[in-house]
Amino acid sequence: MIPDRVVEVIHGPAFMAAGTCDAKLRPAHTCVIGAVVHPDKGHVTFFVPESRSEQILANLRENGKIALGVGMATHEAYQLKGVYVSSRPTDEKERAVQETYRATLFSFSHQVGYPEQIVKPYVFGFAYEPGIAITFRAGEVFLQTPGPDAGKKIA
Amino acid sequence: MGMLPDEIKPAMQGVIPAHVVTCSLDGTPNVSVISQVYYVDSDHVALSYQFFNKTTKNIRENPHAVVWLISPETFESWDLEIEYDHSETSGPVFEAMDMQIEAIASMTGMKGIFKLKAADIYRVKSARKAVGERIPLFQIKELRGAA
Repeated sequence: MIPDRVVEVIHGPAFMAAGTCDAKLRPAHTCVIGAVVHPDKGHVTFFVPESRSEQILANLRENGKIALGVGMATHEAYQLKGVYVSSRPTDEKERAVQETYRATLFSFSHQVGYPEQIVKPYVFGFAYEPGIAITFRAGEVFLQTPGPDAGKKIA
Repeated sequence: MGMLPDEIKPAMQGVIPAHVVTCSLDGTPNVSVISQVYYVDSDHVALSYQFFNKTTKNIRENPHAVVWLISPETFESWDLEIEYDHSETSGPVFEAMDMQIEAIASMTGMKGIFKLKAADIYRVKSARKAVGERIPLFQIKELRGAA
């Protein structure tokens, strides 16, 4: 089960990225634009641009393992590791979630001191439509806040 | 001509953190944020090794990694496919990275937490713009009318 604090961070505003790898153990990266933790606190659906989904979906069909990194502008960060469940195009409701995500990520990052001329084009420049919603079952959660405890398993 | 074009250099200034994805021998990926990707030459980059973490462990057993970078000038993102070569704990690359990490730590309120143990040197196998991931600056509606 994903700890409550990690659920809060996933729901944002946090910067997020997903990692996968193929059968030859070659990794792939994609930025994640918004995510939703299911009510069971064990499954997560996250959103990636369709244009960047081909490689990670191929990897997920091959080995099914996924890592989702989530980090606040304050450096508080976590990583979830789990197993692929499903994928489909994002719907209208999810695109609204993504738009809210971008707006809150920008305002929070700016509020904690990131310069507007950097964070505004960075955050609002994430392509999100058309998007793919990818669902996975989280098996482990790790602390990733920089420091000697980074990597510690917390769930 | 090497793998890294000159236009990628601004993305290596540490203004916007980069991501690195590695993979363990059992096929489990790991994604983490890195404060610095250092340009060594047109075919090599160095990543900072600050704590012994999953990235370090994975790289020692499977040398393949992917680094994601973004330019603070054009806001285009890049994917680098890299392969671990060796680590340096002294010398010009280590010294330069150490100084840059100190500066990044000061700017981001992480002084005393970021501490370079080694400069991990990687060979760059490919460098590609992450097509489709970024909206071109002129198309970002939130920037229209901005200074």
